[in-house]
Amino acid sequence: MGLAIDVVKRSGKRPTEAFDREKLLRSIVAACLSVRTPEGEAESTAGLVTDHVTLWVVTKPAVTSSDLRRQASTHLQRYHPEAAYFYPRHKIII
Amino acid sequence: MGNFDSTSSLAIVLFAALIHASFQASISVLTLMSGHALGKKASHGRLLRLAGGFVAGVGVMTALLLSAAAFVSSQLLLGSTPALVWAAVCGAMLGAGLSVWLFYYKNGSGTSLWIPRHLASYLNDRSKATKQSAEAFGLGLTSVLAELLFVFAPVVVAALVLIRLSPELQLIGTLLYVTVATLPLVAVGALIGAGHTLASIQKWRESNKKFLQFAAGGGLFALGLYVYVDRVIVATISAAGVQ
Repeated sequence: MGLAIDVVKRSGKRPTEAFDREKLLRSIVAACLSVRTPEGEAESTAGLVTDHVTLWVVTKPAVTSSDLRRQASTHLQRYHPEAAYFYPRHKIII
Repeated sequence: MGNFDSTSSLAIVLFAALIHASFQASISVLTLMSGHALGKKASHGRLLRLAGGFVAGVGVMTALLLSAAAFVSSQLLLGSTPALVWAAVCGAMLGAGLSVWLFYYKNGSGTSLWIPRHLASYLNDRSKATKQSAEAFGLGLTSVLAELLFVFAPVVVAALVLIRLSPELQLIGTLLYVTVATLPLVAVGALIGAGHTLASIQKWRESNKKFLQFAAGGGLFALGLYVYVDRVIVATISAAGVQ
């Protein structure tokens, strides 16, 4: 479900979009699964991290997608350091 | 200048293949593709099929590039390879070595490569969209082309050496080149298959990227100098001695 908070995309070329909690959750679940975390653990970790990021986001009128990624990584570091390492890297592997 | 011993020729092919193997675009794409597949809950078998398809694509494109370079060279250089051509190829290798040292990785963390950004972005998107072995095979083909700028030098020198060998040795040399050039991918595929996490593989790649960059650039320099001595200086002196 989208909150009324704009997310400015990384390059600035794509249009802004509303903050989507589910989309953030799915991306963190995928990051956890990609480092071979069991599915249940991936979902619970992603839920906790998404809650933290959502609390941070609601205080802002707009955020960038890089800010979101950074915030998610910071919180993910507490719950799953290996996923936190891999999560922000998919754009800088190639 | 056409009679070089086959041991020296195969050694050059092997060294060129080792340099080719140290380039990282295909490994980056394999890492990313595997990450996306695991993130989408792909089964272990499907992950292995994707990795296998990808490695096969890289191998086929490497063989095609080498064969194409050899075919063009053999059509342009009938009879023997002039010293001037060897000297030009050595110059290209030194230039490529310097480029690798200066530009291979982009500044900053991660393993971003100095390849056209729209191509990197395309590979990124395709690695995410790849769901079947045939798509992984196509991605493997494309990933080799992505760093053609860097692999061009070792491919051309191996092709120039191969065209002066007997047909049997040409086949052996081509197989040797393709096998060695794809070995790191096979190793990464095996690590993923054995259950190693992508984070550990990526961490190793990031912490060793400067070394890999130095090794690839240094290898191009060393091979350029060796080929210059072996194919230009020694061959010229030998030819003068015969006369």
